Amino acid sequence: MAALSVFLGISLFTLWLSKAHSYISDDPKACINCHIMAPQYATWSHSSHREVTHCNDCHVPQNNFFNKYYFKAKDGLRHATIFTLRNEPQVIFIKDEGAEAVHNNCIRCHYDQLVDPKLNVMVDNHREKMTERKCLECHREVPHGRVNSLSSVPNAKVPLPENPVPEWLKMKKNN
Amino acid sequence: MVKNEKEQLNQLKMGINLKFIEKRPWLAWILFAFTVIVVFMMGLLAASVTERRMEAVFVNVPKTDIRPFEPREFQSYYGTADTSFRSKYNGSAMIDMLEEDPEMVILWAGYSFSKDYKQGRGHYYAVTDVRNILRTGGPKNSNDGPQPATCWTCKSPDVPRIMNEVGVAGFYTATWASLGPEIVNPIGCADCHDEKTMNLRISRPALSEAFERRGQDITKAGYQEMRSLVCAQCHVEYYFNKQIAEGADYLVFPWDNGFTAEEMEAYYDNMEFTDWTHALSKAPMLKAQHPDYEVYMTGVHAKRGVSCADCHMPYISEGGQKFTDHKMQSPLNNVSNSCQVCHREETASLIEDVYLRQDRILENRKELETHLVKAHLEAQKAWELGASESQMENILKGIRHAQWRWDYAAATHGGSFHSPVETGRTIASGITIVQEARIKLARLLADLGHNQEIVYPDISTKEKAQEFIGLDMEQLNAEKEEFLKNIVPEWDKEAEARETSWR
Repeated sequence: MAALSVFLGISLFTLWLSKAHSYISDDPKACINCHIMAPQYATWSHSSHREVTHCNDCHVPQNNFFNKYYFKAKDGLRHATIFTLRNEPQVIFIKDEGAEAVHNNCIRCHYDQLVDPKLNVMVDNHREKMTERKCLECHREVPHGRVNSLSSVPNAKVPLPENPVPEWLKMKKNN
Repeated sequence: MVKNEKEQLNQLKMGINLKFIEKRPWLAWILFAFTVIVVFMMGLLAASVTERRMEAVFVNVPKTDIRPFEPREFQSYYGTADTSFRSKYNGSAMIDMLEEDPEMVILWAGYSFSKDYKQGRGHYYAVTDVRNILRTGGPKNSNDGPQPATCWTCKSPDVPRIMNEVGVAGFYTATWASLGPEIVNPIGCADCHDEKTMNLRISRPALSEAFERRGQDITKAGYQEMRSLVCAQCHVEYYFNKQIAEGADYLVFPWDNGFTAEEMEAYYDNMEFTDWTHALSKAPMLKAQHPDYEVYMTGVHAKRGVSCADCHMPYISEGGQKFTDHKMQSPLNNVSNSCQVCHREETASLIEDVYLRQDRILENRKELETHLVKAHLEAQKAWELGASESQMENILKGIRHAQWRWDYAAATHGGSFHSPVETGRTIASGITIVQEARIKLARLLADLGHNQEIVYPDISTKEKAQEFIGLDMEQLNAEKEEFLKNIVPEWDKEAEARETSWR
């Protein structure tokens, strides 16, 4: 029993410290629990997508509830593992599976632009040409721009996690 | 019975467990070791999470003096020294607005704006330009000169420093010239940023006080709001209130009723405030300063969540880094990083859209301007012919309200783009009001025996207009020249000695 409670306690502590509960939400702040995501957050918050999307709208599938959370859990655990092992690259590139999710989400909102009936009539295979290539092949600046190294936004003001030590536990400087 | 049976069963189970372990004592040790290892590993994970989370607190915080390698934001601030950009009506160069539009001299007769009114240059020139403008006069010593220290409020990060030393009311009580040696650095980092964390902060009390009177707490403002509110410390309509503290020209934003011309006008009317009495018409006038934030707040960009910094200080890339461009400037000089973040149209087409709005708004503003000049002259004539106070009261009130609306639209920077509908509406109501006043004036003049049009004077240039209202420009210029030659170098010398002693 004692062993179990120690294990439970330390597990809860780890969950709290890593803000694990925030990953259930859609709040973009959850994505910068790892500070290496600051460039992505900063560039999104300076883009036109800021007002209409959060990270999950583009980066996890939105076709059904289970798929969304399955993908989120899978991707999130991979990120957490790489971050814990300090294995992150200096420049983060999207994986094929992630790119596919983003592409489908571009289409989800911008469908009308892609299947314009006028162009469907006028241009051969318009629909195929517009939906089967990845949007990001051409729209490479949307919305993060093309400069994305870990050190690309040294002074950006993003809401990174703060020092977790509560105020009452901090020694006063003048002691 | 049932209870006893349960207890017996439990004892039996425990007995089996204990017996199971009693027979194999090594199993207990394995369980013990396993728990030790698992908790140890969990502890390691917790330590790793702690470490990586603490990195967020220290990441990108320089631990040594990084000078002279200043961050790009700081370097880009010096872009505000650039005066090369000229748009159709504005830009970063200094423009003498009285030369562009001599009718303004008549509208401001009796007030210092008729002496000198220029479109200012970038933040870099804030202190230089306020020293050079004729409105601050040519003080001969620290107690001389026409303006209070309140005129320094928006010019320099030295202002919060002095406010800390002498108190807010103390600052507003001093003369402009007495703080000359203190206020020497142009608008800079500390005006908008906390010097330790570089977080955005409100350094000027007038904005916080205005929020308080509106029942809002500015410390609760989010990051995106702050990217406009730091600008709203200065780019707003304001007046000097003499009732708040003894002898002080206390800086106040007239926002208690709201941001529109009518709501601010009601605020001023209620307290019977006047900036000056017009030299020709004797009307009790209001001078609009620059209600930039207020007009922007009525526009569609504000509604869509776009802040001042989004367009005037957009993100730029340089050498593998992205940062906020601290060269605050007209987005027309940087369409690709500002407008085109959201709007996919051609640069020329976007600029054309802005100019179209400016042209259309200016068309009616000019119309209102000419009517106002005529109204002032007609009122002057009515006084000459012996009109009484009671006959003139409503007419003068009309002139006051109409010119306030004209000024609200003329003084705001970028108002015809920030909110063309609100600006157009304000001018339209100004035209109606001034026309009403002129109809009354025509009747009154006819009653007084004058049934002709007033001769419109030749005010085709700034000089002619200033001569017409009787300004002695030679003397004003001479005073300023002497001040710049004798007093300003002393201020700079004193400031340099002080700042050297801090190093």
